[in-house]
Amino acid sequence: MWLFLATEMLFFGPLFLAWIYSRHWNQQGFDAGAQQTELIIGTVNTIVLVTSSLIYTLGVSFIEAGDSRKLIQCCVGAWLLGLVFLWLKFGVEWRHDFERHLFPASDFAIDGPHRDGALLFFVFYFLGTAVHGLHMIVGLILVGWIIFRARRKEFSAGFYTPVSVVGLYWSFVDMVWIVLYPLIYLIGRGA
Amino acid sequence: MTRSRHLLLAWGLLIALLAIEFGASFLALDRTARPLILIPAALMIAVVSVTFMELRRGPEAMRLFFAAGLLWLCILLGLGSLDPMTRINYYVLTTNLK
Repeated sequence: MWLFLATEMLFFGPLFLAWIYSRHWNQQGFDAGAQQTELIIGTVNTIVLVTSSLIYTLGVSFIEAGDSRKLIQCCVGAWLLGLVFLWLKFGVEWRHDFERHLFPASDFAIDGPHRDGALLFFVFYFLGTAVHGLHMIVGLILVGWIIFRARRKEFSAGFYTPVSVVGLYWSFVDMVWIVLYPLIYLIGRGA
Repeated sequence: MTRSRHLLLAWGLLIALLAIEFGASFLALDRTARPLILIPAALMIAVVSVTFMELRRGPEAMRLFFAAGLLWLCILLGLGSLDPMTRINYYVLTTNLK
């Protein structure tokens, strides 16, 4: 699993490099774009995801002690928080962004000298959040699979490797968001 | 200290770092200095990897893969950033010199 996560680090690497490169050449435009993002939703989503990661890890510690019932409760909690994240991100935030014409297309809302930089910022924003969202969906499927197997009493204090492996993936998705959050919402905010 | 309490403390630390990062974003920093806001995020990643992902408790091979991933990510970002960070643009006079 750690080998897979190492490849995932390199999968997200070019996205972060694109942010460095694009912002370096278009700082004012990039910051103008960042100031249009929904800071409160982004911050709440960060808290939701960190809490979801905590709850899942608590579930791992419970199954280490052989408590399958508490593992299921923790997995359900983590799964629901993951769903809240996706709803806030795509159901609320993206919808607002589309309504405000912030999708980088011909009717893009930001005009003036910083239009090109802001366009680049929103390409990064939509691509970054979409790729992260896809990873979240995969994570939700995996956590659902753990719940299904735990309900069939397949895990015990002696065997819980799949629970730990899915926990690693879930925390990794959390880590990616921890990087995306300042890049999208914070760095351009007070500039 | 029980593992649950340890995890809850780690969560508290993560929320505190998030609050610092959030507050720092409102400081009137220079545009080029603003990426310093990423420092709390880097600390948050360290906390998640050590506590939630149990990097400290796991076998050597696990830490090796983590270090290798981090190293190649640093090489990717470092080499990729060299061009924009070091390039000097010489502006060409566009008016007619005749």
